[in-house]
Amino acid sequence: MKYDLIVIGAGPAGMAAAGTAARGGLRVALVDSAAQLGGQFHRQPPPELGGGNVRDDPTHERLGRDQSIEQAIQAPAPRRDFLRLRDRLTGVDLHLGCRVWAVEPSFAVHHDGGTLTGERLLIATGAHDRVVPFPGWDLPGVMTAGGAQALLKGNLVVAGRRIAVAGTGPFLLPVAAGLAAAGARVVGVFEAARQMGALARYPAKLAEGAGYAATLARYRVPYHRGQAVVAAHGADELAKVTVAKIDDGWRAIRTREIECDALAVGYGFVPQLDLPVQLGCATTRDSDGSAIVAVDDQMRTSITGVHAAGETTGVGGAELAELDGIIAGHSITGTPLPDGVRRRRERARAFARLLHEVFPVRDGWRDRLRADTIVCRCEEVPYQAICDAQALGAVDTRSLKLLARPGMGWCQGRMCGYAVARLAGEDPPPPRRPIAQPISLQNLAAYPLRSTNDDA
Amino acid sequence: MHPDRMWRSAEPRKSYDVIVVGAGGHGLATAYYLAKNHGITDVAVLDRGWLAGGNMARNTTIIRSNYLWDESAGIYEHALKLWEGLEEDLGYPLLFSQRGVLNLAHSLQDVRDGVRRVEANRVNGVDAEWLAPEQVKEVCPIVDVSPGVRYPVLGATYQPRAGIAKHDNVAWALARAASDLGVDLIEHCQVTGVEVTDGRATAVTTTRGRITANKIALSAAGHTSVVAKTAGLDLPLQTHPLQALVSELLEPIHPTVVMSNAVHVYVSQAHKGELVMGAGIDAANSYRRRGAFHIIESQMAAALELFPVFARAHVLRTWAGIVDVSPDASPIIGLTPVENLYLNCGWGTGGFKATPGIGWCYAHTIAHDTPHPLTAPFTLTRFTTGALVDEHGAAAVAH
Repeated sequence: MKYDLIVIGAGPAGMAAAGTAARGGLRVALVDSAAQLGGQFHRQPPPELGGGNVRDDPTHERLGRDQSIEQAIQAPAPRRDFLRLRDRLTGVDLHLGCRVWAVEPSFAVHHDGGTLTGERLLIATGAHDRVVPFPGWDLPGVMTAGGAQALLKGNLVVAGRRIAVAGTGPFLLPVAAGLAAAGARVVGVFEAARQMGALARYPAKLAEGAGYAATLARYRVPYHRGQAVVAAHGADELAKVTVAKIDDGWRAIRTREIECDALAVGYGFVPQLDLPVQLGCATTRDSDGSAIVAVDDQMRTSITGVHAAGETTGVGGAELAELDGIIAGHSITGTPLPDGVRRRRERARAFARLLHEVFPVRDGWRDRLRADTIVCRCEEVPYQAICDAQALGAVDTRSLKLLARPGMGWCQGRMCGYAVARLAGEDPPPPRRPIAQPISLQNLAAYPLRSTNDDA
Repeated sequence: MHPDRMWRSAEPRKSYDVIVVGAGGHGLATAYYLAKNHGITDVAVLDRGWLAGGNMARNTTIIRSNYLWDESAGIYEHALKLWEGLEEDLGYPLLFSQRGVLNLAHSLQDVRDGVRRVEANRVNGVDAEWLAPEQVKEVCPIVDVSPGVRYPVLGATYQPRAGIAKHDNVAWALARAASDLGVDLIEHCQVTGVEVTDGRATAVTTTRGRITANKIALSAAGHTSVVAKTAGLDLPLQTHPLQALVSELLEPIHPTVVMSNAVHVYVSQAHKGELVMGAGIDAANSYRRRGAFHIIESQMAAALELFPVFARAHVLRTWAGIVDVSPDASPIIGLTPVENLYLNCGWGTGGFKATPGIGWCYAHTIAHDTPHPLTAPFTLTRFTTGALVDEHGAAAVAH
């Protein structure tokens, strides 16, 4: 059976688009690698962990409080948004727990459990954490901010007892607030940016931020601007971090050490473009230099029949993603857009651009690399190997990859891609990954075999 | 591991004694032996992309010489002998590992062909053994040799001296050595045409200007026919994508190289631990460096019957190389109807293993304007005379 529309990614953008298209009368499939709807922002725990019953969970004991983690981390407003998005999905076929590894024209969507076919495609695969390396970042206990939040929301697991949250961007706030509310001692939020006055132009967003700030205040979590974690230390696992006051170029000025057993660190997000690049969709650059899918005002990509929405078209948060999804859904069904959507989207997009300005990633992180600092974890490539390759004449990302192998391993450059590109003096090129998700050979081989000469 | 410097990056000059088109393994080896064996150093190797970024970066690095016919055994065994001394010659680690290659037989016809090939190999001085299924199991314990499977293993040819090498290192070592001897390696310089005057090749036009040369040697794999066409040569080549894939890193588990013509798959484990698996060619002609998924899907289904242990290994990347397949699955090497224009093409799926051997012989051909004795049978004219060298059986991947 061929669907009218296959939506890949069940975050705010994908859910909104799928719901809109289904209400417009289309036969819609919604696919996501997670077992639950919601994507990263609305990530839900599996039913067997749900209902607030986490008493058997070892972390619960550690929390020493009666409140369930799930209740503690569920802010009421996002919960309402999620339920609204979910309730609109009536009639949509859900394909959850399906990791899409490839898409082919007109349109076959290959996932690890089979293949779906559809007349049209909407790609809403979101983004993943942007990582910059620093000494000790590969120690157990150091994780991305998104990783810490996924553990918390998706598994009701608190990443540590004493947790530092560091990096840049507004995303650090909900991460720290969630961890604190779940019972962790958050020893501080270390935000690299310093000037945030410009955000005052968006009162609604400011109020959202104030809500998180109130949570942090309630749990006595200090919020430091103009500071960064510049090194992590520990014998076998994280024991402490070095925190530095940094200048505008992110060079460390003064340092101090703080004990902690977990560090959640995030420097914004990298849009996930594997599938649109496979299809040949044109890409462009976001204002922060990230490669993104080029879309028109209908969220149409350069490939006929393919729409994109949400973070793949520029990182901007859940509200913008949802509005993208609504616009894409109406574009696909040919139904008129409700009043105000486009205006709200323009405002949300302008806010996203402002966030890129207020929370930039400066190249000063490179000063913290030591010869033995691992840049690519999968292939265990130290900074020295990158320097050696550059000394041999590798002047771009591709040559660095060829000579020193960063990005050739398990994650295929998702972790180190940004850093390696910046070390080469480039913005990261759009990813080329013919296999968008690691797929097992048995899954690859499981497709019904076409008749070949062997069978004749 | 790397020396202080790899090679000089050169700007194209207006004129060279010899221009080699294509800076893959064959082109680099040819330049190296032109300089080393023949003292010809006024040489430029031109490439439309980066050095060794074509099939040299995309092949599965299998090295063997167990071909059926005397002609093929001659050139491939010459290459294998050179491989055995190449690390020392080039002063660079190539990770050349003679771990042996098994070619599996799955039908009685395969068995007959295999036994015949082993005998032919021995007569030609190429090491070869015929192994019964239980001996296959001894060499490679993870192959399923049980009789009930779709492709039962009825035996295998085995060449112990065969193996693999690290393709990047081979390219870098040859590039460095050629550069040291004075050869210009010029990347991002696409040859757009070969100028022919009075039946004689005189220059190439490129994206970086016109370059004249006394001799022009083509070595551009799947794109050779495109370049040759600009000189008025219509080559009997079909260009196809050939796919390969690589898995996540695994502990050492696969001690040798296993190939199967019937299944169209070949598997080895690289030095770092990833499985490297190659497929058969995509049937459609294409210059696109990506193949169709159904090819690798059906081939992995068959491969997993041979190697059930790999079922849960994850694929990290797939890619394709652009291969030039000739009608008899043997290469075309030597002179052309155009004076001073030389051909090295038609290697199909198997060019890597020949790298030093063909460099040696092609350099001789260019230097003396006469085919090297080992490559003399592989003329372009054999497709009109009928003196074919039919290696479809030993090419290991169906063409």
